[in-house]
Amino acid sequence: MANISTRFFGLDLKSPVIAASSSMTGHAEQVIKLAEAGAGAIVLKSIFEEEIYHELQEELSLRSKINSDPEYLDYFDYVIKEDTLRKYLLLIADVKAKTTVPVVASVNCVSSNDWMLFARKVEEAGADAIELNMFICPSDVTKTEVNNEQFYFETIQKVLQVVKIPVSIKISHYFSNLAGIVNRLSKTGIAGITIFNRFYSPDIDVNTLTVVSSDVLSSSGDYLLPLKWTGILSGQISCDLAATTGIHTSETAIKFILAGASAIQVASVVYNEGASAITRLNQDIAAWMDQKGFQTLADCKGALSQTSAASQAWERSQFMKYFGEKAF
Amino acid sequence: MNQIVDKVLFSEKVAKFVVHAPRIARSRKPGHFVILRVDEKGERIPLTIAGADPEQGTIVLVVQRMGVSSSKLFELNIGDHILDVVGPLGKATHIYNAGTILACGGGVGVAPMLPIVEGFKKAGNRVISILAARNKDLIILEDEIRKWSDEVIIMTDDGSYGTKGVVTVGAEMVIQRETINECIAIGPAVMMKFTSLLTQKYQIPTQASLNAIMVDGTGMCGACRVSVGGRTMFTCIDGPEFDAHQIDFNELIMRLGGYSAEEKLAYERYML
Amino acid sequence: MSIDKEYLQIEREKEWRAELRKKMANKDRTALNRTKMPEMDPYVRIQFQNKEVNIGLTEEQARQEASRCLDCPTPTCMEGCPVSINIPKFVKYIDAGDYLGAAKTLKETSALPAVCGRVCPQEKQCEANCFYTQKLKKDAVAIGYLERFAADYERESGLMSVPEVAPANGIKIAAIGSGPSSLSFAGDMIKRGYDVTVFEALHEIGGVLKYGIPEFRLPNKIVDVELENLQKMGVKFVKNFIVGKTSSFEDLKAEGFEAFFVASGAGLPRFMNIPGENYNGILSSNEYLTRVNLMNAANDEFDTPVIKGKNVAVIGGGNTAMDSVRTAKRLGAERAMIIYRRSRAEMPARVEEVHHAEEEGIEFINLANPVEYFADEKGKVNAVRIQRMGLGEPDASGRRSPVVIEGSEYDIPVDLVVVAVGVSPNPLIPSEVKDLKVSRWGTIEVNEDTMQSSIPELFAGGDIVRGGATVILAMGDGRKAAANMDEYLKSKHS
Repeated sequence: MANISTRFFGLDLKSPVIAASSSMTGHAEQVIKLAEAGAGAIVLKSIFEEEIYHELQEELSLRSKINSDPEYLDYFDYVIKEDTLRKYLLLIADVKAKTTVPVVASVNCVSSNDWMLFARKVEEAGADAIELNMFICPSDVTKTEVNNEQFYFETIQKVLQVVKIPVSIKISHYFSNLAGIVNRLSKTGIAGITIFNRFYSPDIDVNTLTVVSSDVLSSSGDYLLPLKWTGILSGQISCDLAATTGIHTSETAIKFILAGASAIQVASVVYNEGASAITRLNQDIAAWMDQKGFQTLADCKGALSQTSAASQAWERSQFMKYFGEKAF
Repeated sequence: MNQIVDKVLFSEKVAKFVVHAPRIARSRKPGHFVILRVDEKGERIPLTIAGADPEQGTIVLVVQRMGVSSSKLFELNIGDHILDVVGPLGKATHIYNAGTILACGGGVGVAPMLPIVEGFKKAGNRVISILAARNKDLIILEDEIRKWSDEVIIMTDDGSYGTKGVVTVGAEMVIQRETINECIAIGPAVMMKFTSLLTQKYQIPTQASLNAIMVDGTGMCGACRVSVGGRTMFTCIDGPEFDAHQIDFNELIMRLGGYSAEEKLAYERYML
Repeated sequence: MSIDKEYLQIEREKEWRAELRKKMANKDRTALNRTKMPEMDPYVRIQFQNKEVNIGLTEEQARQEASRCLDCPTPTCMEGCPVSINIPKFVKYIDAGDYLGAAKTLKETSALPAVCGRVCPQEKQCEANCFYTQKLKKDAVAIGYLERFAADYERESGLMSVPEVAPANGIKIAAIGSGPSSLSFAGDMIKRGYDVTVFEALHEIGGVLKYGIPEFRLPNKIVDVELENLQKMGVKFVKNFIVGKTSSFEDLKAEGFEAFFVASGAGLPRFMNIPGENYNGILSSNEYLTRVNLMNAANDEFDTPVIKGKNVAVIGGGNTAMDSVRTAKRLGAERAMIIYRRSRAEMPARVEEVHHAEEEGIEFINLANPVEYFADEKGKVNAVRIQRMGLGEPDASGRRSPVVIEGSEYDIPVDLVVVAVGVSPNPLIPSEVKDLKVSRWGTIEVNEDTMQSSIPELFAGGDIVRGGATVILAMGDGRKAAANMDEYLKSKHS
């Protein structure tokens, strides 16, 4: 039976199939189910600083009615932050007590001091690794690309200073020179990069004339974007690479391994099919490896990446020239 | 109220008091402590309840004279009253049938350990107790502990009684010879720290009973705060017992020294 | 609290009041300026922890101030009072020279007039609703100063009136906590003839009045006199008793207690959870004030120690922060600093307290927030790292939100830090009583009109219901709970 163990997040994992950060990984019982189903690692639901801000506004309007003393509400955001963090730390401790599968804390902050604080605390609570969920949508017309990029490097540097557990990041694809920046990020001392964070997209309802949110779960075609970049980047950067978004079938999962991913993160397929989807993916990957004669993941990882002998096709498949040449 | 009904000197530094406090005696469980104030000018200090007699309406407190407050208490005699005693405070020990318990008591920490050992024995556990201290004089409550233990090991730093060595030496010997399901460690912070590091190596769940500085003891001031698993907890309401492997002992030891300069001055004044 | 308009009118029509109104023309009354409260000199007062800053009005000053009151037919001032003190009545007693009458009037509705006169934010309550403020756009009648005057006069005269008490009805009830809410509740219930016992966890009665508010604002002796009055009326006080621990509610019910008023307060300290906050020398305001006010730590004769810092930083902008920083000054701080993340205008503390603090040499560092603490090799704090803040959009409470200015950090050397960023409800009773509905933040949920909790025989009020609030609001809750518990018990016994 093929050995599907791999290394990502700076940790040795028994499987390349990782349960990505989602609402399912916010509850201990569900996390344990995913662990028992064979997930190589579990990324806990992200703590969002923005969520804390919204909670605060809610609480302020509620409390202002029965409590006319602003002194009580003055620093209430700290109370909400502490409560949110406390619950998260308890989740980490609870899960760690019940499984040996690596538990990765996921954090998304706004101010740099909070990134450092959260990172320290999750380490103290026993998280095996940290994923910085860097969710910056470049929709601010006044900022420059330099501002945005600076934020990534500064945050990573600050977090690396305060923790000993491995730090990895998850990024979106919105960069002017994606390959360049991923390369530079990979040299900062982080253990791994996961591509790509998926933004929720607005949609429009022409009947009610309102802006609505589109489907939250990924569709299967979504995998092509991260697949392309996994192929291009995996052999060229200094740290491990993992991919996410749209990985619903074992065939897709295998494609990513061949493209050079050390691991894949799945959420939507688990949401739709349950934890058993992970077991299925593990089994199918191993069966395919057996069929093809690969004994370990290292044997086939990156076999078809851009830097492998066979693959000028990665770049060629994108150029206009190609379409120009082919007759219709 | 709070009259001292009996006093027994264990040594020139350690005394046992039996105090009349009927409500506390009735409500108290192993692991609970009281806060007391000897006189109008005194400090509020915590002391674990070492035993209680609900019918007589009395509780047992064991004091080691170290600074002003403990000395003032030590000086009281049968018939005297302690001005204020409030309790029972803290969370009671979680006592259950685990299998085999290893209880490690350092110095006067054996006093709070006694009711816990009794509780675990009554719950059907095999209990191995280690009493450790610097020398023979500081070993206390040996007979009482023996009553509730399957085995008692005594360790003294200078070898004046029992085996020569620190508590961790005795503990490791026991751990290596049989399966221990749960460990209790009570004593000076440094002792609990090293006992915890030992049991962590062998992955034995361990509870430590902390002795943080307190002012009110009811959760009001935060003086007793301690970091457990990255979270700040209050020894007086969340403890005094915590999962030892999660306690930041270095921080606890640092915080215990917070008023050492003032304490030293006060003690010098008191002794004049 | 509902105001009985008919009763007010009857009182107002009484001869002595009508005469008093005729004595001086309204235009002469309004021509007088509001009396200034005599204050101790700042340089002198910062050397004393227990000398009041506000000295109090003289008889002459009080009578003149009282004469400014127009004795309105519709006293809007009363609408601002959470305990519905009959303000025109007591003020006019002072005008007439009957100070003991004024004190008696106060006691009809307030159990602690000397306390309220000192710590109430009158500028937001009765005085904000005064005719002078509302219609004449002039300084209000100094209702607070007059309340204090009457209460102090009575106390110093040694002729304290003890309000009438109805015959004992034999029904045992308990109040948990001995702060202003319970005391107010106890005062009302004892008048109704109930057998009232107040249980207190600490070794002193008075709650926040004793441990929280410093002596230079509210001397403990004054609180004791009000407490003695309650004892004279028949209220029983039991110290060193934690309901839920020393004995449970079930135990007390078995002993005959039929109903409970929980007013255990918001004594749980809040920290900011920033790196280094557990170093020595960083205290919650509760710890600092309890050591100084309750345990007399500043006095060498008392055993409890306190750190007397030279460079003291107090984090926060409310009354507790003011109390802490001014205490630090009195304990010898060379630099006593307030570090607050919003601007001066947004500080929740009473304007008078901020003003006094300024006079005493307190440094205000606004638009600044601590992000980390540093310590020496022994773990004693020696510096705080501050981040500058800007003000952004208003939040849901209408105040502008503090916004971090990245990269603006700088360090301030300190040897004592007091964290005064608010308090949370005491968790003890909510955790001990099953079936008690408690909010996410630990406050006991009650019916707003009756103060009754999800357990019928358990009422609650004060900070344990509101989060942290004022003394007077707690007292209002106590009165409301008393009225409703009375109804509840009457119907139970009918």
